[in-house]
Amino acid sequence: MSWRRKHLIDVDDWEREDFELLLEQTSNMDSILDRSIKKAPALRGKIVVNIFYEPSTRTRTSFEIAGKLLSADVINWTASGSSAAKGESLRDTIWTLEAMGADAVVIRHGEVGVPYYLAEKLKKASVINGGDGTHAHPTQALLDLYTAWRELGSLDGKKVAIVGDILHSRVARSDIYAFKAVGAEVYLSGPSTLMPTDINSLNAMYEPNIAEAIEGADIVYMLRIQRERQDAGLFPSLDEYHRRYGLTDKLLGKAKKGALVMHPGPINRGVEIASSVADGPQSFVLKQVRAGVAVRMALLYLMLGGVKE
Amino acid sequence: MIKKILMTAEEMDRTISRIAYEVAEHLKGLGDVVIVGVQRRGVSLAERLQKGFRDMDGVEVPMGELDITLYRDDLTLLQDQPLVRSTSVPVNITGKRILLVDDVIFTGRTVRAALDALMDLGRPSLVQLAVLVDRNNRELPIHPDYVGLKVSTDKSDVVEVRVKEWDGDDQVVLWEDGGEG
Amino acid sequence: MKWLVNGRLFDGELLREGLCDLVIDKGRVAKIAPAGRFVPPEAATKIDLDGRIIAPGFIDLHAHLRDPGQEWREDIVSGSRAAAAGGFTTVVAMPNTDPPIDRSSLVRYVLERGQSAGAARVLPAGSVTKGRRGQELAEMWFMANEGAAIFTDDGLPVSTAHLLRTALLYADDLGMAIMEHPEELSLTKDAQVNDGPCAARSGLKGAPKSAELIAVERGIALAKDTGAHLHLTHLSAEESLEAVRRAKEDGINITCDVTPHHLTLDESLIEKSGYNSAYKVNPPLRSERDLEALWEGLADGTVDAIATDHAPYHLDEKDLPFQEAASGIASLECAVAVVFDAWLKRGKPFGIERLLRLFTAGPASVLRKSDLGRIEEGSVADITALDIGRERRVEAKRWESKARITPWEGSALCGWPVMTMREGKVIWVDGDGGLHAERD
Repeated sequence: MSWRRKHLIDVDDWEREDFELLLEQTSNMDSILDRSIKKAPALRGKIVVNIFYEPSTRTRTSFEIAGKLLSADVINWTASGSSAAKGESLRDTIWTLEAMGADAVVIRHGEVGVPYYLAEKLKKASVINGGDGTHAHPTQALLDLYTAWRELGSLDGKKVAIVGDILHSRVARSDIYAFKAVGAEVYLSGPSTLMPTDINSLNAMYEPNIAEAIEGADIVYMLRIQRERQDAGLFPSLDEYHRRYGLTDKLLGKAKKGALVMHPGPINRGVEIASSVADGPQSFVLKQVRAGVAVRMALLYLMLGGVKE
Repeated sequence: MIKKILMTAEEMDRTISRIAYEVAEHLKGLGDVVIVGVQRRGVSLAERLQKGFRDMDGVEVPMGELDITLYRDDLTLLQDQPLVRSTSVPVNITGKRILLVDDVIFTGRTVRAALDALMDLGRPSLVQLAVLVDRNNRELPIHPDYVGLKVSTDKSDVVEVRVKEWDGDDQVVLWEDGGEG
Repeated sequence: MKWLVNGRLFDGELLREGLCDLVIDKGRVAKIAPAGRFVPPEAATKIDLDGRIIAPGFIDLHAHLRDPGQEWREDIVSGSRAAAAGGFTTVVAMPNTDPPIDRSSLVRYVLERGQSAGAARVLPAGSVTKGRRGQELAEMWFMANEGAAIFTDDGLPVSTAHLLRTALLYADDLGMAIMEHPEELSLTKDAQVNDGPCAARSGLKGAPKSAELIAVERGIALAKDTGAHLHLTHLSAEESLEAVRRAKEDGINITCDVTPHHLTLDESLIEKSGYNSAYKVNPPLRSERDLEALWEGLADGTVDAIATDHAPYHLDEKDLPFQEAASGIASLECAVAVVFDAWLKRGKPFGIERLLRLFTAGPASVLRKSDLGRIEEGSVADITALDIGRERRVEAKRWESKARITPWEGSALCGWPVMTMREGKVIWVDGDGGLHAERD
């Protein structure tokens, strides 16, 4: 089997074999992180440009480290304060980057669908979605999958509970797809005001009662709660939210013994997750971060090599 | 497309035993030696050498596997990006004597990549190369220290080392002028 | 003087048996007779329809011609020509321009610019409120006297129920309808798509169908209350159609139109196209079920007209990522073909006469214009010639309209207009349509 995708915009068109291949490749990249010399020359002479229209130090840094470990030249194009502020259109910006020789463009943007738009406009460079609005965050889903797979092995029949603001979460959307594709069962929980109206089309079970949603779960995935949602009137207060949906040790006791607690970061301690859980033995948050580097190495390697259709 | 058997299974066994003896003799014992097989058939041969050492004087020489994909010099030329295989060397190789094992040495480019990959894992005190088949047509100044069989080939010929683990049987085949490979 | 021969005549109500010849003189239909029955005057220019349909000139109740003030998107001349090239002989220009058409001088401006275009007749819609601000009624009587065809605050609903009620009563005195854009704005703030699967899977803010239904029900209640004529434009939801159907059964003075895009495109295309902004429109593309409900509405007479809601934009405003792109679909030059093509592909779910009425007598009655939308001896010679068998690709780069993006770009559609005639003058001919006629 070989890799034929030029872009990574979403994982919603991936087959199970694609995920499995990527997990395998990621585990081979992962071992590089343990070496004293953490570098391989595979992407020598390749240029990866990170273009982030939303601030995200962690995702950007993760891509940067991943690219550098494989010897690519990684350039960070800060969107604010540069051409975007001068009114240059996104189209002109990326054409400029391509003209400078970028082989891959990693884009983070606050709007849905921007990576599709870029992929259509770019002639040569690969587009990697670093998160587009509320839509998709494929590399997050892949690193989550890898973290879980490394710990649990096959995810067939495993129960994953994703809790929080599903409505505005690109992480949830991509994770639901990825976990389901490898055979896991996905449950969603959170107040109805933070769920999409047509929740059935997400192909996951919705259980508003968090205790029931995480009952017997192998993985409890907590989403970040943004204060703006309270301001928008979607729930009354962060305090009430924490009481109803915050993950405490007691609540975690409902999940399977030793269940993995995951979170895309950055964590709001005392809101969606209690500090004791975030820092506890079941927290996989930092393993997720490490997995992020390995997954992005695998993706950059696969996407920047070979001759794609 | 003519097929010639260069080695039978029995000959392969004998050759590997012979190499094991040569290594032990040349290195004056197996202290600090680590066998590193190049993925994939080099790993199979490395396992057999490890067994050869064990049979010879009951020594368990540590063994690892090395994938050179990320170090290839032709990545930008290939149609498909080759998949990365595992690199796993269970001991710290710094200060160790490395016996690098591959099935065939041809242009020398794989060995060049393997040396680079090895150096990223640590700083061995010595690296030696064992191959089952040495064919000519070298493109880099690299030469094996231990050779099972030296054979003269044309560039378009294919030397195929078949191992039970991957191919179902043990033998070395020369396909003259192309072949199936 | 013109002599149209061998046409299948649709007179606004029925498709006549056999082929007909028409004599057009002084801008009117002078004579209608079975083909070959009479010899025309020598001076007449003969146009052989060779079996194609001769219909009353099509009327588009709803197009944004962007003039005055946004001429980079469209202007009255390009819009009038685009309408003619799309098979329309009359187009109603929406008043959400800059400044809005909210007074008689601006109504006159639109009419005069339309005249100078020499293509489709441009009828101005006046705004219901001054500046479209939704506060005070605009001078509707002055505008009506100058030639306004209908009143609407389109782009927005009439701001309050009170104002809509007042406007209905006031317009009723003038013998005119209010066209309402039904949308409950508090439910559609920042909405980008229908509140369905696409919204769920993308997180894009969804406009629920209830936002349309609430406004439709408000309008129906007020039309019932006042007895005045309310026209609901671009209905997109199954529930809205059902509400109108019931209102009509109750004898309430309600009419409505639907758009070619809501009849042929559904929300799944947004995801399938990778969030292509060509599919961004308000009201948003709905579900397949809603789309089917609109066709049922056409079939059972709930829907009175098909109107384009042609919303042209400059490429720089539309060729953008989905969320940034302007909302609106440009279709004036392919709308008729889009609808006929769909009607054919669906296996002609109802008679062609019903479909033709939705472009002719239907919209004419919404405008209360008895001189349009029909062909008889003595009527105004507005004619659309239609070739049901003609197949052509949509190519926006060849459009008269300034718009260059349309969801149907590249589609091969079947069933195109091949000639439009306004007041006896040929205003457009499809050069490759096989019809031997010259533009006047």
